[in-house]
Amino acid sequence: MSRLVILLMLFCSLPLWAGQEILPFEDDAKRQLYQELVQQLRCPQCQNQNIADSNAVVSIDMRTKTYELVQQGHTKQEVIEFMVDRYGNFVHYSPPLNPLTILLWVLPVLLLALMLWYMLRRRQIVQTPEVSNPALERELDAIIDAYRSKK
Amino acid sequence: MRKWLFFAPLAIFLGVSVFLFTGLFSDPWTRDSVLLNRPLPEFDLPDLMQPEQRWNRELLTGEPFLLSVWGVWCPTCKAQLGFMTELKEQGIKVVGLYYPLPVDPAFGDHFSLGQLQRDVQRELAYFGNPYQFNILDENRRLSLDLGVSGSPETFLVDATGKIRMHHVGDINPRVWRQKFEPALEQLQQTSLVQLGAQP
Amino acid sequence: MIPELGQLALTFSFALSLLLGVVPLYGSYTGNERALMLGKPLALAAALFAGLAFVALSYAFYTDDFTVINVASNSSSVLPWYYKLTATWGSHEGSMLLWVWILTLWTAAVALFSKQLPLLMQGRILGIMGWIGVGFIAFSLFMSNAFERSLPYFPVEGNDLNPLLQDFGMIIHPPLLYMGYVGFAVSFAFAIAALLGGKFDSTWARWARPWTLAAWMFLTLGIMLGSWWAYKELGWGGWWFWDPVENASFMPWLVGTALIHTLAVTEKRGTFKSWTVLLALATFSLSLLGAFLVRSGVLVSVHSFATDPSRGMFLLVFLLIVIGGSLLLYALRMRSVRSQARYQLFSREVMLWGNNVFMLTATLVVFLGTLLPLFHQELGLGSISIGEPFFDAMFFYLTIPFSLLLGLGPWVRWKQQKWQPLIPPLAMVAVAALMVAVGLMAATQSVQANVALLGLLLGAWVGMSALGEVGQRIRQFGQGLAGIRKLSASHYGMTTAHIGFAVLVIGIAMTTTYSVERDVRMQVGDTVTLSGYEFTLLDLYKLDGPNYGGEAADLKVERDGRFITNLHAEKRFYTIQRTVMTEAAIHARLSRDLYVSLGEALPGDAWSFKMQVKPFVRWIWLGGLLMAIGATWSLLDVRYRRKVLRRDTVPQAGELSDKHKELAHA
Repeated sequence: MSRLVILLMLFCSLPLWAGQEILPFEDDAKRQLYQELVQQLRCPQCQNQNIADSNAVVSIDMRTKTYELVQQGHTKQEVIEFMVDRYGNFVHYSPPLNPLTILLWVLPVLLLALMLWYMLRRRQIVQTPEVSNPALERELDAIIDAYRSKK
Repeated sequence: MRKWLFFAPLAIFLGVSVFLFTGLFSDPWTRDSVLLNRPLPEFDLPDLMQPEQRWNRELLTGEPFLLSVWGVWCPTCKAQLGFMTELKEQGIKVVGLYYPLPVDPAFGDHFSLGQLQRDVQRELAYFGNPYQFNILDENRRLSLDLGVSGSPETFLVDATGKIRMHHVGDINPRVWRQKFEPALEQLQQTSLVQLGAQP
Repeated sequence: MIPELGQLALTFSFALSLLLGVVPLYGSYTGNERALMLGKPLALAAALFAGLAFVALSYAFYTDDFTVINVASNSSSVLPWYYKLTATWGSHEGSMLLWVWILTLWTAAVALFSKQLPLLMQGRILGIMGWIGVGFIAFSLFMSNAFERSLPYFPVEGNDLNPLLQDFGMIIHPPLLYMGYVGFAVSFAFAIAALLGGKFDSTWARWARPWTLAAWMFLTLGIMLGSWWAYKELGWGGWWFWDPVENASFMPWLVGTALIHTLAVTEKRGTFKSWTVLLALATFSLSLLGAFLVRSGVLVSVHSFATDPSRGMFLLVFLLIVIGGSLLLYALRMRSVRSQARYQLFSREVMLWGNNVFMLTATLVVFLGTLLPLFHQELGLGSISIGEPFFDAMFFYLTIPFSLLLGLGPWVRWKQQKWQPLIPPLAMVAVAALMVAVGLMAATQSVQANVALLGLLLGAWVGMSALGEVGQRIRQFGQGLAGIRKLSASHYGMTTAHIGFAVLVIGIAMTTTYSVERDVRMQVGDTVTLSGYEFTLLDLYKLDGPNYGGEAADLKVERDGRFITNLHAEKRFYTIQRTVMTEAAIHARLSRDLYVSLGEALPGDAWSFKMQVKPFVRWIWLGGLLMAIGATWSLLDVRYRRKVLRRDTVPQAGELSDKHKELAHA
């Protein structure tokens, strides 16, 4: 019985409040959206920090604005556009797509494909071993196996 | 073909080094403002010294001016006051946009307009006062709309209320000569052309 | 006086490194045995003097000698003595001196532990290490002098150490990280020596392997500690931020991982020769690139040192000589080398190539993500940021096929492997992985189809497969203890490291999916419940530390009425540096961390708190630790410690395959 209760407790790990949340949200979706946004927006003044982790004045203001916009029901894209419209592409940790930034995705895929293709192509070339004597091969394999198991 | 493939790593490395080399001589902090050639955002904010007087975009248009974001808490802002006062004496209109810090009760601070006004008056009397007037950006809302990330920052706004330059950092004689003077000249030329076009 | 002696010692070390760069190399080309023999004493002496220089600087820090500019700007008399010592490497100049000392130590280690190396090879390797030393010591001496004095006007009190660096992590993280970075210079020197000699048989790979493993082990520990340090010291509970400086250490780690695997192929099978050499060059090149990125100021990062373009210029020229020169040598020498490859598509060779495919692709992802903003700006396209969203997505898609491959790899034999015999054991592993993953998830959370479940499945697949494979090998070797003893240390090491990867994947997947965080306002007596944990604020009071003041909070945590722990969080204000630091309160368990940090004071005697419950976050560092343990275990393998005489009489597994080749030709 008590085990069942513990299991139930684990499953409904919803927070209960006495101390109040500083930025109250109507629902979890909005809270999650807010947390996602402040993670992905960059503090324009700091060295290299997102606005969630920075306490620069501008980060505080951007957090407040993000909270407002999320509470008003704006989508993720709209909030990001709002910020980019004022602070430039720099402020979002995901770059806009252009002929240069597309390389971020294209080059890794290309390298992956190239390296896989190289292996497959190599296989075709060496499919015919230079000199091979099946009997000798077997004999040698046996010697190696014997050596390995002796070790 | 296969032989030349072995030169690929070297070629890639040399290509990257070119960027590393030019990168050494450029400031990773420079950012182009997205607000250039856009009109000033809408706002309705009180005057710092006479809070009953309110300012908005329309009241500011008509002649080119510098909008200077500053605060008494910022040493660089105070350091540039002297040079900017000289500019004022040359006939340049400078409007202050006061950027207040959020109040931190942790260290016993509470916001008091009277105290702020006294502080501002004291500093301006000491360092020089370039400002025709100061707008108090209460919750730093206008600063956010202007893409301000700290202070000092200075905007050059033309007679039609369009932003022509966004300068991050202090104003000193070098910056003024290299950045602002050419921009101002260009502004004057275009406005002369416009004037000439009008009967 | 002491700082001047330190300066003098560093100058001696410079001269000795210069000799080390000239004499043994000269000997290797003229066949002068005496010149070759001089390598060892020169390397040892250079390390000794670099060590003396470092000790002299530490002494200046320990005795608060504020006439030394470096001490005055990075220490203060109120700093505890252990932080005074670690402040030695808290600045660019001091850390460069540590870097130099570690480099000379590695050189000395090569001189001491390479008795089995032919004298010629040994001389070449030491000579190359000597030249690398010359470059870095010159940088330290002429571009970033740590001993410079500000006489006659010196401050009576120092500027204090950056509070972020006043932490236990600072004591061990930089030395370990540098041990890793610089350690790859040894594999680099081996590769260059092989290029110079034009001999690319499996021997150079066997010699280079333990050194590469050791450097990799240190780098793994260094990165892991850096992540742990950021987690506990920055106060927001993050453990990896894709910052340029983190990436700069991650790139050599990724390529170094590829190198360890491909060295195995070159040693055991004599193939992938040119590729392995290239990786050895690339690993150290990326270490150098990292040093350049951190110290030149071309990128904006949280951790970078104060910068100066002339330093960047020096490092860039050094990079051009070392990397450019070695790649040119590579291109010229390698054009004529061909590896004979005799293996089927389904073979261990191809599996290890698969490892390389993913490691190199991951490196390219990190490389582009780190440097593309620079290219973008230099081409006049404006400034952009690349961070978490990009890297997370790319690594997510790379990890899935990589983990699947990693579960399969160790089962596959060299040359060729038939599918059929692997099906029964792998099916069992798959079933076991499914049970473990679902079981673990049911025990901690509700079972949902999400990233956490995917991560658990992949992790369990890799881990179970590694365990299963070791079990099978042991059974092949004999019953019980006999089998356990017969399996080589390097095999156990490999298995441990692979399990470490599995643990890491599980940790990352669980933490990112199930972490809960709330920002709350609390007064004394208030209780907040998060994920079933009840946090009660017991007390708030003012702090009074040696070089800081601030606020502290005591909390109590309960769960279902049972007492769990007391927590103590602080918000410190360091008076000299005028910086605010968050000392988070952390209660760590294998299954979850409780993480509480103080925010700011709110009206009405209240404070804001950031409360976090982070499931499985410890697994991330546990995984890294297991990888490092795996590398250490491999290093203990007897074949790295065999004497020359024994190797000459007893053929080794690796050599057998060479004999095999010769016989096959006959």
